[in-house]
Amino acid sequence: MADSTSEYVTLVSCDGFEFILPRSTACISGTIRRMLDPASKFSEALTGRCVLETLTGVVLEKVCEYFFYNEKHKDQANVPDMDIPPELCLELLMAADYLDT
Amino acid sequence: MAAMRARHKIRAPRRGLNAAKTDDFDSLWTVLSSSLTEIHTKNASTLSFEELYRNAYRIVLMMRGDDLYESVKKLEKDWLRDTVQKRITDSISSSLVRAQESTDIQDQSEERRAAGEKFMGVLKEAWEDHQLCMGMITDVLMYMDRIISTDKSKPSIYIVSMGLFRDYVLRAPVRPDSPITVADVLESTVLFMISLERVGHIIERPLIRHCISMLEGLYESEKEEGEKLYLSTFEPAFIKTSKEFYQAEGRRLLEIGDATTFCRISSQRITEEQERCLSTLAMMTEPKVLEVLDNELIRKNIDEVVMLEGTGVRHMLDHNLLEGLRSVYSLNARVDPKKDSLARVVNKRIVELGKEINASSIVVAQAAQPTKDAKDAKDAGTEKKEKGKEKEKPVNQQTLSAIQWVDDILALKRQFDTVWEQSFLSDQGLQSSIMASFANFINMNPRSSEYLSLFFDENLKKGIKGKTESEVDTLLDNGITLLRYIKDKDLFETYYKKHLSRRLLMKRSASTDAERQMISKMKMEVGNQFTQRIEAMFKDMTVSEDLTANYKSHIARSADPDQKPVDLEINVLTSTMWPMEIMANTKDGVVQLPCIFPREIENLKQSFEKFYLDKHSGRKLSWQAGMGTADIRATFKRSNGKVQKHEINVSTYMMVILLLFNDLPDGKSLSFEEIEERTRIPKNDLIRNLQSLALVAKTRILRKSPMSREINPADRFSFNHEFQSPFVKVRIGVVAGAKVEDQEQRKETEKKMADERGGSIEAAIVRIMKQRKKLTHSQLMTETLTQLSTRFVPDVSMVKKRIESLIDREYLERLSEEPPTYGYVA
Repeated sequence: MADSTSEYVTLVSCDGFEFILPRSTACISGTIRRMLDPASKFSEALTGRCVLETLTGVVLEKVCEYFFYNEKHKDQANVPDMDIPPELCLELLMAADYLDT
Repeated sequence: MAAMRARHKIRAPRRGLNAAKTDDFDSLWTVLSSSLTEIHTKNASTLSFEELYRNAYRIVLMMRGDDLYESVKKLEKDWLRDTVQKRITDSISSSLVRAQESTDIQDQSEERRAAGEKFMGVLKEAWEDHQLCMGMITDVLMYMDRIISTDKSKPSIYIVSMGLFRDYVLRAPVRPDSPITVADVLESTVLFMISLERVGHIIERPLIRHCISMLEGLYESEKEEGEKLYLSTFEPAFIKTSKEFYQAEGRRLLEIGDATTFCRISSQRITEEQERCLSTLAMMTEPKVLEVLDNELIRKNIDEVVMLEGTGVRHMLDHNLLEGLRSVYSLNARVDPKKDSLARVVNKRIVELGKEINASSIVVAQAAQPTKDAKDAKDAGTEKKEKGKEKEKPVNQQTLSAIQWVDDILALKRQFDTVWEQSFLSDQGLQSSIMASFANFINMNPRSSEYLSLFFDENLKKGIKGKTESEVDTLLDNGITLLRYIKDKDLFETYYKKHLSRRLLMKRSASTDAERQMISKMKMEVGNQFTQRIEAMFKDMTVSEDLTANYKSHIARSADPDQKPVDLEINVLTSTMWPMEIMANTKDGVVQLPCIFPREIENLKQSFEKFYLDKHSGRKLSWQAGMGTADIRATFKRSNGKVQKHEINVSTYMMVILLLFNDLPDGKSLSFEEIEERTRIPKNDLIRNLQSLALVAKTRILRKSPMSREINPADRFSFNHEFQSPFVKVRIGVVAGAKVEDQEQRKETEKKMADERGGSIEAAIVRIMKQRKKLTHSQLMTETLTQLSTRFVPDVSMVKKRIESLIDREYLERLSEEPPTYGYVA
C-alpha cells in the first residue's frame, strides 16, 4: 500500500482503467488535491489511490493528458492549443467542473 | 460512434437527476450525514473522499444545494451542542466556577491552576478537532461551497461552523442555569495564569497561546470583517487587569524607594510584556499593553522616581552611576520625547554644582589668610609666588581660584558629557538643556569672562609647555566650549585683549602657534569681528619686529662709535587695537607726566623717535615704560673685595630705578620720595617695582631701611652689594598687579564696557533702521537684541536709552505713538 506521502498516485476510472501519475501533477485538480491531503484522514489520502466513479477511462485519459499539458506549460505564454476531440468536449467540461480544475 | 457515446453520456445524469430528485436527496443525505458524524468521531479513514464528494456533488446538481447547506449546519449545531459542549463544561471544575464568582482567590492558586490547565487543554483539543473536522468536511462539500456560497453570498460552511462553535461552545453557560459562559471562564483563567506569571510562576504558555489563537480565529459575526473575539472580549479585559497590576506595581516599587530598582524592574517588565505578547498572547496586543505599562508604571511615577531622595537621579549623577542613568533615560524617553522630568533634575543638579563652584571660587578669592589653598598656590605657583609675601597671597590666590573655577567647570562639563554620551545616548534635547544649564550658572558668576580669560592666560603662558599639539588643542577646545556659554562675549574680549597684551609685551607667551590656534578657534566660535582687533595686535607685533631690525641696521650704519650701544627692541602698537588701560597715561583724569629716563635711555628714545617719524610722518609715539623690560649688567662688590657680575632682567621701571644708584656713591641711599621725584614713575608702579627689588628675598638688589613689609614714603633704599644668586642671569619679575581685578578696577572695566556697549547698540540700531526705514518699537528691540546676542546680552533699558539719544540727535524720528514707531532720518 502506497503511503500518504508517496511520490506517485493512482487514479482509477469507473470502468477500471488505472493511471499512475506524479502526485504534484494530479494535484492540479482541486478535488484530487483535497482528496489526497495528508492532513485529512480519508481512505484516498491513506492509500494514494483515487477511484473516480464519475469518469470513464477515455475521459480520465484526456484529463491526465491535460494535467501533464498544464504542468509542462505552466507560467508560459504562447502555448500551443491542446488537441481535444469534439466528441469529448461536453464530458470534459463536466469532468473539469467536478474535478475543480 | 465516439460522438454518439459522448452525447449519450452527457444526457444520462441529467435524466437521472430529474427522475430521482427527492428520493435521491434523502438517501444521499443519510449516507453523507452518517459519514460526517464518522469524521467527527475520527473514523475518516474508513471513508472514501470520492464517494462523499460525489454524493455532495450529486445533491448540488439536483438543485438541492441549499437543503444540503442547511442540513449540514443543523448537523454541526447538534454535534457541537450535544457532544462538544458537554465535554467542555464537564472539564470545568467547580473550583473554576467559584473562582469566577470571586476573582481574587489566590490561596487556591495551585488547585485553580491545575483545573484551569485541564480546562484549557480540553478546550484546545475540542477546538483543534473542530477545526480539523470542519476542514475535512469543507473539503468534501467543496462543490457545494463553490456553487452555493459564491452564488448566493452565504458564508462558506467552514465559517458558519466556526460561528456555531462560538455560539454553542464558547457562549454556552457553564452550568445549565448559570450566567457564566465558557468564554468567561476561559478569559478569567487566562488572566489568572498571566497574573501567576507576573509574580514569577512558570505557566504553560503554548496552551494559552492556543486558546488565544482560537479567540483570534473567531469573529463576532459571520462576516470575516467583523471584530475578532480576541479583540472584542479578551484584549480589553487583559488591558484592564494589566492596568490594575501596573498601578499596584508602581505603588509597590515607589514604596521600596530605590530608583535603580525601579528602573531595573520596569525595564524587566517591558521585556516580559513583549515576550508575553510574542509567545503567549498576540503580537497586536504588544503596543497596547506597553502603552498601559508606560502610562501606569512609568509616566505616573517617573517624576517621583527621578526625585527620590538618596537614590534618584541626583544620587546617580553624584556617584556617576551611568547604568542607572541610562535606564532612567530610556524609561523617560518611552513616555516623553522631551524627557522633561529627567532634564529638570539634571539641570537642577548642574546649576547646584555650578553654584557651588561659583561660591567656592568666591570664598577662596576672599580668604585672605594663608590656608591650605595658599600652600597649593605655592606649589603650583610661578616665580612670582615664590617671592610671595603675605600681601601677594590673596592676589595669587584669586588668580588661582579663577583657574580653579574654570578647571572645576571643565571637570563638571566632562562628567556630564560622559553621562550624556553613555547614558543619554547623545540625546539632542538633553544636550541643549544641559548646555543651557551650564550657560545659566556660568553667567551667574559675574566674573566668568575674566576668569576664563585668565585660564587661557595661564595656559598660554606656561600651561602648554611640554604638551603635545593635540593636548594643547583639547585644552583650548575646552576653554572655547566655556566661551560658548558666556553671554557677555565683549567683556571676555576686553579681558582677553588685556591679558594677551601682557603676554605679548612681556614675552610671556609660551608659543605663538598656540596663540594663533586659539585665535582661529575663537574666530570659528564667535566670528570674525570678534577676533579682528586681537589679530591686529599680532600684526603690530610682527611689524614691530621688522621695525626693530631696521632700526638696528640704521644705528649700525650711523652709529657714533663712542656711544655705548644699547640694544632696543621696540613694539609700536596701534592705540585703538590695544586695551586702553594699559596705554593710558591718565588716571582719574590727571595727566601723568612721562617718566624721566636716564640719560642713555633718553638718547636712545630720541634717536628712535627720529628714525620712526622719518618713516611715518604725522604719527605720535607715546612711550609706555610700564610695559617694557630691560637687561642690565650689574657689578656687585662684595665686602671681601671680590667682584660678582650678574645679568639682571628687570622691567623698564626697575632699570630706571637701578640706574639712579649708578650715579650714587656707594653707601648712600635714596628715599622713596626722592626716587619718585627723580623718575616720575607712577606711585603704584613704583611701589610694586620697589617691592620686587627690595622685599623679595631672592632678588634683593636694594636694601631698604627700615626693614618692613610695607613701602612707606619715608623709607630709604640703598644698593645691596651682598646680593647673592646661584645664577649669572637673574630675572626679577614685577610683583604682579592683581591679575584678578580689584573692586575699583572692576568698576572701571564695567564702566568702559558699558560705554563700548552703548556704541555697539547705537551702531546696531542705526544699521537696522537704515535698512528698514520704519519699525515699531518692539520690532526694533527684537532685531537689535538678535544682532547683538553674539557679543553680549544688552540691557533692555540701555537699548531704550540709546534709542532716545538717537532721537535727540536726530538720527531717528518718532512716527507714531500707538504703537510706538520710529523712522530713519537720512
